[in-house]
Amino acid sequence: MCARRMLYSLLAGLAATGAGRAAEISLPTGGTLKAVDFERHIMGLLSKVGCNLGSCHGSFQGKGGFRLSLFGYEPALDYANLTRDTGGRRINTQRPDHSLLLLKATGQVAHEGGMRFGKDGWVYNVFREWIRSGAKWHRGRGEIRSLTVTPADFAMLSDSKSLQLTVTATFADGSREDITPFCDFKIADEAVAEVSPLGLITPRQPGDTGLTVLYRGSVKAIRVLVPMPPRADPYPKIPEANFIDTEVFAKLKLMNVIPSELSTDEMFLRRLYIDTIAQLPPPEVIRDFVADKDPKKREKMIDRLLAHPLHAALWATKFSDITGNNTDALENPAPTRAKRSQMWHDWLRKRFADNVPYDHIVRDILTATSLDDKTPEEWIEFVKKVDNQAAQGFTTDYPHKKTLDLFWRRQQQVPIEQWGEKVAAAFLGVRLECAQCHKHPTDRWTQEEYWAFANVFAQVTFAPNQFSSPAVKKLADAENAARREKAPQGNNNQILLVRELFVSDRARPRPNPATNITPLPRTLGGDVITVRPGEDARVKLAAWLTAPSNPFFAKAFVNRVWGHYFGVGIVNPIDDFSLANPPTNERLLNALANDFIQSGYNIRQLERTILLSRTYQLSYVPNETNRFDKNNFSHAAIRPLMAEQVVDVLNAALGVNERFTGPEEAPVGTKMVEVGASRLNSSVAYALRIFGRPPRTTACDCERAMEPALPQTLFRMTDNTVLAKFTDRNGRVAQLAASTLTPEQLAEEIFLATLSRFPTPDEKTEAVKHLKQTANRTAAITDLMWALVNTREFILNH
Amino acid sequence: MAVVRRSDCEGFHRRDVLTIGAAGALGLSLPTFLAAQAQAKAKNGNTQAKAQGVILLWLAGGPATIDMWDNKPEAPEGIRGEFQSIDTKVPGIQLAETFPKTAQVVDKLTIVRSLHHTIPSHGPASVFMTTGNKPTAALQYPSMGSLAAKLLKSEVGVPPYVTFGDLRNGGAGLAGYLGTGYNPFVIEGGGGRGNFSVRGLTLKGSFTLEELEKRDALLRKFDNGLAGLDSSNELVDGLDTFHQQALEILKSDKTRRALDLNAEKPATRELYGNTPFGQGALAARRLIEAGVRFATVSFGGWDTHQQTFTRHKTTLAPTTDTVVSALLNDLDDRGLLESTIVMVAGEFGRTPKINKNAGRDHWARSMACLLAGGGFKRGYVHGSTDSSGMAPSSEPVTPDDIASTIFHNLGIDPHMELQTPTGRPMQLFREGKVIDKILA
Repeated sequence: MCARRMLYSLLAGLAATGAGRAAEISLPTGGTLKAVDFERHIMGLLSKVGCNLGSCHGSFQGKGGFRLSLFGYEPALDYANLTRDTGGRRINTQRPDHSLLLLKATGQVAHEGGMRFGKDGWVYNVFREWIRSGAKWHRGRGEIRSLTVTPADFAMLSDSKSLQLTVTATFADGSREDITPFCDFKIADEAVAEVSPLGLITPRQPGDTGLTVLYRGSVKAIRVLVPMPPRADPYPKIPEANFIDTEVFAKLKLMNVIPSELSTDEMFLRRLYIDTIAQLPPPEVIRDFVADKDPKKREKMIDRLLAHPLHAALWATKFSDITGNNTDALENPAPTRAKRSQMWHDWLRKRFADNVPYDHIVRDILTATSLDDKTPEEWIEFVKKVDNQAAQGFTTDYPHKKTLDLFWRRQQQVPIEQWGEKVAAAFLGVRLECAQCHKHPTDRWTQEEYWAFANVFAQVTFAPNQFSSPAVKKLADAENAARREKAPQGNNNQILLVRELFVSDRARPRPNPATNITPLPRTLGGDVITVRPGEDARVKLAAWLTAPSNPFFAKAFVNRVWGHYFGVGIVNPIDDFSLANPPTNERLLNALANDFIQSGYNIRQLERTILLSRTYQLSYVPNETNRFDKNNFSHAAIRPLMAEQVVDVLNAALGVNERFTGPEEAPVGTKMVEVGASRLNSSVAYALRIFGRPPRTTACDCERAMEPALPQTLFRMTDNTVLAKFTDRNGRVAQLAASTLTPEQLAEEIFLATLSRFPTPDEKTEAVKHLKQTANRTAAITDLMWALVNTREFILNH
Repeated sequence: MAVVRRSDCEGFHRRDVLTIGAAGALGLSLPTFLAAQAQAKAKNGNTQAKAQGVILLWLAGGPATIDMWDNKPEAPEGIRGEFQSIDTKVPGIQLAETFPKTAQVVDKLTIVRSLHHTIPSHGPASVFMTTGNKPTAALQYPSMGSLAAKLLKSEVGVPPYVTFGDLRNGGAGLAGYLGTGYNPFVIEGGGGRGNFSVRGLTLKGSFTLEELEKRDALLRKFDNGLAGLDSSNELVDGLDTFHQQALEILKSDKTRRALDLNAEKPATRELYGNTPFGQGALAARRLIEAGVRFATVSFGGWDTHQQTFTRHKTTLAPTTDTVVSALLNDLDDRGLLESTIVMVAGEFGRTPKINKNAGRDHWARSMACLLAGGGFKRGYVHGSTDSSGMAPSSEPVTPDDIASTIFHNLGIDPHMELQTPTGRPMQLFREGKVIDKILA
């Protein structure tokens, strides 16, 4: 009936308006639209004016009884719902202006979504003309073959004038059309430039930002550069230490931005210590370093700290985040979980300490099994040994195990699609989660690709009483029987049982919910992985993933390392490689990635290259040209510390050890970055929480909250656990109080211990004055230490 | 600065979604704070709001509500408990005899008897009940308290969200994807004498306010290392603002005064009972008066796998009965009940079937909870369970629905969208529906 009614109104419409004589519509970016096409124009506008967002009619439940496909990927559904629902009232070809679609969107009839466009604008005219000309749909006419943006790659706005972008689509039928006004434009940093809904870019202040163009699911991104005004003086010659400087400074020159001076020795040393080992340089080290006349002293210090045991511990901490070392999610019994987190951390730490090539590390995580290449007997003995060590103390032989099976061993079964998301985020820097339910709106990933990738992990098995072979089962059963025998009666779930992580030939792949067809396992956006009996799909995945030709693998890692040393990635957020998020300096990213691949994925060499660059060693003090630079590395970024760095740096300044108690108990002197557990019970837990240590529950690094918050300030000022560090019997305050240092020497020592620099003459005068005025030497030292620990200079890395 | 820029599932950097919250509020993280500053108009007055604050009395461990607020004396042997039902102030509504004082305030209460979910495990069930979202491995949802801290207008000088002690599960009660700035301020101490303090907000021992000011004067002389960068660096500038705020808060005695229970009449303190739970609830009421938006007071011991009835009779029920009735009377007497929501619940109910140890085990498929105050009906029972209390038999509701209804009464659209750190748009309570029938 609805269809008939529509037909009637269609016919009536044709009769009334003089069939099909198209009225040309002037487009706001110039030119005219001769015929309105449903796919090319109407679908574009439905996205552009926001009708098909998830919060509006794009919701899977629809909104107000009207549903559109999310972001407009299903023209058939949208066409049907526009033309047939509500008895055809939504579209009235006879009296186009009475179409409910137009009445609602212009706010003439109450619309929860408000007014989307005005009655006298070009958008209205496009919709109206489409309706008037019969509301037709030519299936496939709008299928996009490619999209080009002019200017391509980057828009340079050097003379403070606006620039109009032009977007041209090539459709499947070979025709090309300027579809600029039908696109959506988004600029990442509106402080740098703004973009109008029609693609006109207007510069605001010097800087560099990404701009994304979206047209019906196709994404293009360019960078918008607003250079500093040209200067009278010639651009200075900046010394370059290596290829990093070449690439960074080349872009700065393009932007008329001059990099800051080289950092002072004190500045460099503090930054290097915090970045590489999460410690502060001890006062005597600062004195020696500043006095050292060796021109290679920075290089020597870099090599020394990269080889420091805490350096590997710091990376183990970061990789514990990246790989999801979430203590709470590990296997039962619960009291053993902290130790298992520690094993995980120590496994990673050993690899960073031994400088194992990055591709090997990742392969040994991705393809992990419990058994490795051991015989069942060897394996059982190893498990017994490690479990025993874990029950007795802090260190185990687990780091000597070939592969990290703990990565896959979680108490609650992990749905395979989450493995896909975790692996993509951790090792490719790609966020897939949007594609679980629909095509990724700002990236290439389809739902089909998402589920095909998930199915790579369909063989992974970790379940009670399941083992890879009868031989393993027999031994494990015997050991488990013995453990049950020994355990006290009554609490069976508190017994640590032998369990195995293995890949099974009985895979459990999942269907793509959109088609209900189960896709074959595929590399991400790549080829089908064929798995024969006895084979592990992950092995082939690892080969693809770690190959030099992989488009993400090396880049994702060098970007992580870069992000660690600069506080901001070349791609930022660091684990968000997507079409809509281009790198700030593509040549730099490529150069780093190529160098990393050439070196055989040598992590230490990558770090060394970065640290030796002048770019890393620049001062944080800006000049007139680079004051506002946030992402071109023209000066060192002032940045917050990681939660673990806060704990270790605070302890280093105050000369105390953290006490780890409870399940994560560790030997005295253990640093925060050496502790594996993500959930701690000791007094340090509160500090970690307020400084944003991630719980490691989600796939991405993004859950680490680095933003400062008021409780952090209050914590440093008043928290009892912090105040106790000032009064520690063996702490720095006590030692200095007991020393014979003069007030002048004390002042210097306290500045070196906290801010890692000598005081300025004024600061020294003030400090000495306070030390002399205050009757109680301990109190005076406490006051000074407290004051310095509460400065911004102390709590920020710079 | 190192704060990540966000692009969301729909590609937008939707800064305009949420910048509510006054500058100067506690717990704001820097980006939000800056955004709030930028948007001079802080908030477009919540005309819909019936309530301004919430007190959650959290019965940790999973209370056997079948022996409390949905008592089944007529059920078969082995299911019905040891307690008879008693009449209450509202004709037709009965409670277990162990709640005589609460029976006298039923005219102020909505009793939801048809609450249920599917997670009989303490950790995730606590998360479900306190967040209004079924927990998933992929994302940590923010607790209702953290959401209140983010979405409601805060009072300068008092923390927006406090918890008395830590909740049982590491994830419950925390800020989840909202970020550390919205975690609760933890109230320490207490006990019968009620010496409460807020971690980070209360100076202790010899570190007096005078001492703090002296040290701060010294600090000012040395905090110049990055000072030249103030105007160009959000981080350096923002930290200075936080420092000023921290001082103001430490100097302001709003919170300290609120926590000083000696300011109450001894008779009032007596009414709440000489227990940490009672004195905590009283402190919570004082904090709400001072402008705190969400206060959680936890009372554990409800995981009664053994001796449910003995434990109810001796400690659990009398303590809870005293606290609930005292709090509701006190709030109502002060005219605060209209603007304050009180919720009394635990993570799940307990098995209708009594086990061999005279205990009841975990049971999420039916449970009851109490709601009162701002926007809720008075003297009303919503829903029911079947004759043996196994499952809802009418008007089934879920934790999502409860949370949605609470936020509806706070003037917040339960389906408004927030963003996760990856930029994924996330409705407050995706599955939740406002329970119209319990709205006043």
